[in-house]
Amino acid sequence: MTRQGGGGAKRTWAHACFAAYCATALVAVTWPVFPMLGNRLRPFVLGLPFSLAWLVGWVLATLVALVLYERFGHRE
Amino acid sequence: MNASPVVLGTVAAYLVVCLAVGLWPSKSQSSSVIGFVAGDRSLGLVLMYFITGATIFSAFTFLGMPGQAYKQGAASFYILSYGILGFVPFFFLGPRAARVGRVHGFVTQAEMIAHRFAAPRLAGVMALISTIAFVPYIALQMRGAGLILESVSGGSIPSWAGAAVVYAIVLAYIAKSGLMGVGWTNVLQGLLMLSMAWGLGLYLPIHMYGGVGAMFERIAEARPEMLVAPGLAKPVPGIPQEPWAWSEYTSAILVSTLGFSCWPHLFMKAFTARDDRTIRRSVVLYPTFLIFQIPILLMGFAGVLYEKAPADANQIVPFLLIEHGVPSLLIGLFCAGALAAAMGGDAIGHAAASIAVRDGLVRGLGVKLEGERERTWIRWTLVPVMLASYVVAVQWHQSLVWLLLFAYGPITQFMPAVVATLYSKRATAAGVLSGLVAGIAVTLTFDISSKLGTDLRPWPIHAGVFGLAANVACLVLVSWATRPADERRDEEFLRVASGKSG
Repeated sequence: MTRQGGGGAKRTWAHACFAAYCATALVAVTWPVFPMLGNRLRPFVLGLPFSLAWLVGWVLATLVALVLYERFGHRE
Repeated sequence: MNASPVVLGTVAAYLVVCLAVGLWPSKSQSSSVIGFVAGDRSLGLVLMYFITGATIFSAFTFLGMPGQAYKQGAASFYILSYGILGFVPFFFLGPRAARVGRVHGFVTQAEMIAHRFAAPRLAGVMALISTIAFVPYIALQMRGAGLILESVSGGSIPSWAGAAVVYAIVLAYIAKSGLMGVGWTNVLQGLLMLSMAWGLGLYLPIHMYGGVGAMFERIAEARPEMLVAPGLAKPVPGIPQEPWAWSEYTSAILVSTLGFSCWPHLFMKAFTARDDRTIRRSVVLYPTFLIFQIPILLMGFAGVLYEKAPADANQIVPFLLIEHGVPSLLIGLFCAGALAAAMGGDAIGHAAASIAVRDGLVRGLGVKLEGERERTWIRWTLVPVMLASYVVAVQWHQSLVWLLLFAYGPITQFMPAVVATLYSKRATAAGVLSGLVAGIAVTLTFDISSKLGTDLRPWPIHAGVFGLAANVACLVLVSWATRPADERRDEEFLRVASGKSG
């Protein structure tokens, strides 16, 4: 690796961001944050009640977070 | 369900294709144990994606999950929620396990743990727990398969015969092709299930209500409590259905998120991947499988306001399909899709036989089996595993829920042992074993007590949380009080796991 130092710092940053994301996602779909923010009937999103759409949103966000983390958090 | 020849023909055609696909790949696979159990560690992303994805699809997905949405509403959201982070631990554990697996020749989870702690008995204990857990699981899938064939044939194929036919096919392709047979049939099954889920998941709301949004508007007016978490508790006959508790909902998500990656049949797929990157990418793509749970939930919600009800909530989808005169070909394809899901017992059967022979017989009991003889033993062990499951499926009627309780409780308790094996320098054999025993004992005590009507849990949260707490506490305390048997060996093991060159 030619840019070992810079790459290492970037990876540390990626690890920290991903850990923070996972903690946020877990809190967002469980009590008490889910009932406070996401667990509502309305507004409907794409025909789904807000509670279900909120969870679908976190599934999609996790997909994006994993793609980014795989890209920036690891070297082969 | 009607006995239309189109429906029956579609299902039969599917079974024939499945058998052909399952028998085909053995030509390219080596005749070693590594070939049979781990596909020669050669799997690329497509196979890994479908094999790991197929683990969340089972007979439960097509029958149980819509049934839960139909009866308990938003309580079913917890399944979606634990999936969000449930496979993430594998992103880290998987590549580490794969590296030590390549160096030491592991193909199962238990032999990895037993090797690290130089405790072959540990492999025996885990093999016993896994096999006991797997039999009721396969039995449930068999029963699902039997019910599907019984309903498509209008009762002329009894469920015991249906289950026998479907699982004879499964047995044939696992015995012939090992992991690759499971892998390629999972690709076929996955594609069929996914297309059926989306097709019918959208068809039912549109046909019955004019659209997904229109359906939820109607439910929001009539039964708003169904659409917000934590939904309703399991219905008990004779008592008005109560709301589910947030503490139960949240702790069920936590326990499942932590324990999911450690299911032995899922975890051992780390040893099948071509390289670390393939493992990580299969985790990255995993949420796409969760998206497919949404149309399945829609099918269940479609039944909430329907004036007629099926005899059993789990039959809500086939019930609605017939009530609404869906074309026979579509019903046939749905049944084939549900059958594909019910054949998900294939990966479990393959894992159960591999684990029973390799961890139980060879490591735990010290039976010496060289090279191809071990593979032969695994092939033959499939027969008693499938037979035992079949007997349970056909004979053991009311108390299958009990068996499943024994199955799921102990397995989540493997997680601390796996993490200690792959990360901790200081963990000892005594620590890991006492953690396992304490965790399983606590979980089962609380689970059984609440089933018997005297709930011993101090708070209304998932019994697995108490088990994990006891497990980790024992692991840490006992490890701290004892010395590792061979520190240099442990350091070497962890160096290999981390992928750093020494």
